Amino acid sequence: MTGPIEPTVVWLTWRQLFARRRLLLAAAFSLAPLLIAIVFRVTAADVDASSGAFLLTLLREVVIGTELPIAAVVFGTTAFGGEIDDGTLVYLLVKPIARWRVVVSKYLVAVACTFAVMIPAVVLPWLLVRNAELPAAVPLAFGAGALGGALIYCALFVMLGLTIRRALVVGLMYVIGVEIVLAREVAGIRSLSIRELALSITSWIGGPSVPFSGSVVTLATVWVMGTLILLGSVAYSMRRLTRYEVAERL
Amino acid sequence: MTAISEFADPTSTPPATASAAPPRIELRNASRWYGNVVAVNDVSCALSAGITGVLGPNGAGKSTVLNMIAGLLAPSAGHVLIDGLPATGRPDVYRTLALVPEREAVHAFLTGYEFVRMSARLQQLDDVDGAAARAIALVELESAQHRRVGTYSKGMRQRIKIAGALVHDPQILLLDEPFNGMDPRQRLQMMDVLRRLADDGRVVVISSHILEELNDLATNVLVMVSGRLAASGHFREIRQLMTDRPHTFTIRSSDDRALARALLADRSVFSVELTSDGIVLRTADRGALTRQLPRTAKAGGIRLLEIRPTDESLESVFSYLVGR
Repeated sequence: MTGPIEPTVVWLTWRQLFARRRLLLAAAFSLAPLLIAIVFRVTAADVDASSGAFLLTLLREVVIGTELPIAAVVFGTTAFGGEIDDGTLVYLLVKPIARWRVVVSKYLVAVACTFAVMIPAVVLPWLLVRNAELPAAVPLAFGAGALGGALIYCALFVMLGLTIRRALVVGLMYVIGVEIVLAREVAGIRSLSIRELALSITSWIGGPSVPFSGSVVTLATVWVMGTLILLGSVAYSMRRLTRYEVAERL
Repeated sequence: MTAISEFADPTSTPPATASAAPPRIELRNASRWYGNVVAVNDVSCALSAGITGVLGPNGAGKSTVLNMIAGLLAPSAGHVLIDGLPATGRPDVYRTLALVPEREAVHAFLTGYEFVRMSARLQQLDDVDGAAARAIALVELESAQHRRVGTYSKGMRQRIKIAGALVHDPQILLLDEPFNGMDPRQRLQMMDVLRRLADDGRVVVISSHILEELNDLATNVLVMVSGRLAASGHFREIRQLMTDRPHTFTIRSSDDRALARALLADRSVFSVELTSDGIVLRTADRGALTRQLPRTAKAGGIRLLEIRPTDESLESVFSYLVGR
C-alpha cells in the first residue's frame, strides 16, 4: 500500500535542500540567535533582570519574525524551483508515482528543513539565558509557533516555486516587504500576516509563560486563515504539478 | 508528404521489420501548438518493436513528438496512445516506458550510482542494488559510478541518463538526441546496446538531427520538418531518396562559359546557369558529376578554381523531401 509520502522523493529533496550553500545558510540561521545571546550575556549590566525581555524579543523579532520566513522562502521555493529551471524534474515525472505524492513529499521536506533550522535558533539562546522566569514552556511555545509558521509559509512558497519563475526573488520581496516591514508597521496588514499567525500559536501554547502582549490575530482567525492558506496552497500545487507539461524551447 | 511505405498509416499493415503484434505506440492526427506556434502538425504513425529514428533539423518538432509519446505533453488535437490507451495522465505507463530527455542536466549532487539507484527505487524494483549495478554495467560506467554527476563529461552524463532509463528494463525506450557528447567508441557501444534491446522485441525510438547517427541503427525512420511528418518508411529507402535528390554546385574556373557549354553535354547534368559568381549547376547524380567534371575540364584545357556544394544543409535536404 502506498501512502501520501514517497520516501525516495523525500530523500532526493532532502539532499537538494541541504546541498552546500544552503547548508551554510542553515547553519548561520541556526546559530545567529545564539551569537546574539552570547553578546547579550557578555555586555548586559544585569543579565538576570533583563533576560526575560531580551529572550522574548529575540525569539519574536529575530527568529519568528525574520529567520522563519526567510528560511521558509529559501527551502519552499527551491523544493521544486531548481528542478524546473534545470530540467531535472522530468526524472520524477516519468516514474510510476502519482504527481500529488511528489508535491506532498517535497512540501513536507521543505517544512522539516525549515523547522530543523528553527529548533537550534529557539533552543540555544534559551539554554544560555534561562532562569526561573524562562521555563521550558518558552522554547516549547516558540517551537510550536515556528512549526505552525513553517507549515503555512512552506505551503505558500512551494506553490510559488511551482507557479512562477524567479520564485525565490519574488518570495524574498514578499517576506521583506510584507512580513518583515509592513506587518510591523501597518495594523491591517499585521492581522493578515503569517508572522502574526505563528506568534498567535506561540502565545496560545505558551500561555502566561510567554508574557508578550500577544498578537492582534485571534486564535479562531489563526485556524481559519492558516487552514485556508495551507490547504489551498497545497491543493493548488498538486493541481499545478498534475497539469505540468515539459516546457519546450521553441 | 512522402510516404515511402505504409509505415506512417496506423491503420495499415506495419512493415516487415515490425512484429505482427499491434503497435505499442500510435499517433493519430496528433498536433501540438503553443499559442500561435505549431510545434507538431497532424502527425500519424504507428510504432512497433525495433528501432525507429525520428530525423529532422533543429526545431522540427522531434522532441515534442517524443514528449507527447512519453506523456509529458498532451496533444492539442488528435491522440497519442501507448498500448491503445492515452499516454498522458497515467503514471503506471512508466513501468513499461522510459525516456532519456535531451537536456543534459542530471542531479549534479548525486553520484552516478545514486542517480541510477534512485530511478530503481522510484520504479519500486525488488532488487534495487542489483538493477542499478546491471544498468551501470550496460553503459560501461562502473569506474565512475561513485563520482558526483557534476564532475561527469557530457558523454558520461548521457550514459548515466540512459542507465537510469534502462534500470527497470522498459519495453518502450524513447531517446532524445542520445548520442550528443559521446565519443565514437561510446556511440558504437551504445548502438550495440540499443540494437540488442530492439532484437529482444522492445520499441526503441531515437531522435536525431544527424542522418549518419541513424545509419545502420534505425530500421525505420520518420522525417520531420517544421512540425510535419515529411517522410516515413524504411531507413534505406529514405537514405536513397536523400542521396538521389538533385544537388546544386557552384563552380568557378578559368573559363566558365566554355566549361558550362561542355558540361551541358553531360547526361547527369540537369541545368547550368552562368552567374557573376561562376557556374551554378544542378545534377541528379553527384557521383557521376564528381568523376566527370575533372575530365571535362581537362579535355577543354580549363582550370578548375573552386567546386562548392550549395545545398548540403540538412534543412535543404529535408525541404526537398517535403516538396516531393
